[in-house]
Amino acid sequence: MEGLLSFLAAIVEIATSAAIVDVIWATLLGIVVGMMPGLTATLGVALMTTLTFDMEGQRAILILICMYVGAIYGGSRSAILLNIPGTPANAATSLDGYPLAREGKAGSAMAVATTGSFVGGMIGMMALAVVAPALADFALGFGAYEFFWLAVFGVVVAGQLTALDDPIKGWIAGFLGLFVATVGQEGIHAIPRFAYGSTDLAGGIGLLPAMVGAFGFAEILSVMRQEAYTVVRSRMDSVWSGLKSAFGYKVTAVRSGLIGTFMGLIPGVGEDMGAWASYAAARQASGEKEKFGKGSLEGLVAAETGNNAAVPGALIPVLTLAVPGSAPAAVLLAAMIIHGIRPGPLIMIEFPDFVFSVVAMVFMATCAMAVLGLLLTRPLLLVLKVRRERLMPVIFVLCTVGAFAISSRMFDVWIMLAFGVLGFILREMKYPMAPLILGIVLGDILDKSLRRGLVLSDGDLTPFFTRPISIVLWGSLVLLVILSMPAVRGFVARRARRWRRGEAGP
Amino acid sequence: MTEDLRHRAPPAGPKPMDRADFVFSIVLTAFGVGVIVESLRLPRLENLDVNPYTVPGIVPGILGIALALCGLALLIRSTARGGWRVGIGGTLAAGAGRAPAFRRVTVTLVLTFAYALLMFGNMPFWLATALFVFAFVVATERMMPDRRATWRSIAGAAVLAVACGVAVGFVFEELFYVRLPG
Repeated sequence: MEGLLSFLAAIVEIATSAAIVDVIWATLLGIVVGMMPGLTATLGVALMTTLTFDMEGQRAILILICMYVGAIYGGSRSAILLNIPGTPANAATSLDGYPLAREGKAGSAMAVATTGSFVGGMIGMMALAVVAPALADFALGFGAYEFFWLAVFGVVVAGQLTALDDPIKGWIAGFLGLFVATVGQEGIHAIPRFAYGSTDLAGGIGLLPAMVGAFGFAEILSVMRQEAYTVVRSRMDSVWSGLKSAFGYKVTAVRSGLIGTFMGLIPGVGEDMGAWASYAAARQASGEKEKFGKGSLEGLVAAETGNNAAVPGALIPVLTLAVPGSAPAAVLLAAMIIHGIRPGPLIMIEFPDFVFSVVAMVFMATCAMAVLGLLLTRPLLLVLKVRRERLMPVIFVLCTVGAFAISSRMFDVWIMLAFGVLGFILREMKYPMAPLILGIVLGDILDKSLRRGLVLSDGDLTPFFTRPISIVLWGSLVLLVILSMPAVRGFVARRARRWRRGEAGP
Repeated sequence: MTEDLRHRAPPAGPKPMDRADFVFSIVLTAFGVGVIVESLRLPRLENLDVNPYTVPGIVPGILGIALALCGLALLIRSTARGGWRVGIGGTLAAGAGRAPAFRRVTVTLVLTFAYALLMFGNMPFWLATALFVFAFVVATERMMPDRRATWRSIAGAAVLAVACGVAVGFVFEELFYVRLPG
């Protein structure tokens, strides 16, 4: 009840006429960014962070959340109409969305995607309101030992889940990110590391220029490498008929919303895994499994509910642990710090109203997304007609200016270029980008927590392994690493097959 | 759980990816060893009598070990898969099949680097941006097999280029108070 009152108070405080205008344009811009193949939610939020640099904190965060929610939803449009996910989070959407569009049911597919995204956003928002204060309270008991393991856990789990078929590549990306974070002056004795006399390097590698490079410039190179896309040309049915169909999948939507929120909560995993895990669970539970991948409305509901539920889910660890649940959430974390908000276990003490302000912002963004998505279905199709040869140079200009704008130094433009090329090469070799970015964010926490922990214990490693939360974190890590080994996976699969045969037999 | 949905099983035998993994694993192992060496060379601040557990090289050193170990694991795996056997000829043959894609990426790299390193900051922002956008649009559209460069498309590119230079400059400088170089 207290939470509900705090939420209503936050809505009343935030929903001024000026804020509503901000919500409308920022969500619409987010949808447009998400729709365009090559522009991801991460890039949108990162570029918008540079633009909202001088704004008042609450207004800037509202705009960034609207951009985030809008972009994750907007990606469903290109997934349905082009068979190209607008953002990686919409990859599962294209499996059923595109076949539906080819059958002339693009309108229904977009309506179902909108409904699913709305339900997902609302379930995630409720989880944010309930879980965040409780988790912040729980995290007050975290010390250096727990934060060290949390940082290691975040990077390893993100590496594992974003590179499912080859976890070692995910871990390498994460370790590289952690290493990048160690470049520059360290936080205890202010000794420059790996700077080699450069004052720019001594200042460290900024998260935002690195992200604009890894998610912006690298994406431009990837898009230019691919063949040009074409919009599906078929009859489009009414959006409103699709709304009725969506209500037939309430159970799928609620289950996907919960799974998506949970996947968002796991550090660095984010929206794409939220969609894939929800999609897989929906297929497992469905009575019409054979339709999945061939134009199943249920599959579409699951994917879109899952990815939008992961957005508020990813904000939970951002607010309570200062650990991002996804790549765009990592930018939001940086933006909050820029605007003087200190996310972490003390948030409910230092900024008691802020968590519910974020809940209210997610609510407003989700409502705007649903209304704009349904009302502007046909006008938004024009966005997909923009040719990549004309869009990409404009995006690169924004990447360059965005990287420069943060601290007005050319070094950040060089960082953007370097991370763009590195990101492109790593992507081509199937290395995921999210653990790299998470590593950059968590590097400082890991560095300080390990050294502080060692000082507190006078060099004794025992507390790292014996405190209750530490045991859970390192135990899960060891289990995860062992289970990802091909020999162990093969053994487990063989045992499971034998067990199933034994169960099915006489 | 989602593995079967996202990825197909790779065909048997060495592939260009194994070759890439083989080369990258050597680079990564060498990089990891380099990080360990450089971490050992970082100041240990003994003269300041600081706690030895807070020395700056401890975390980079551990990360160097982790990167070198991952590099070695990747090296062993790619070698077992025959990554070292896929010759340069095979890689070039695989690349030749994607020649238009390679050309598009090369042109993109050349133009973007020229803009960011040479033009941005060394000439008026709107002019640098307009020149870059115009060159990019004309160069990449000429590479599309189904499109011919007409006066109309070139005029369109010029309008877009000038509009982009003026609008981005205006938005950043006048609305968001970012002082652009040049």
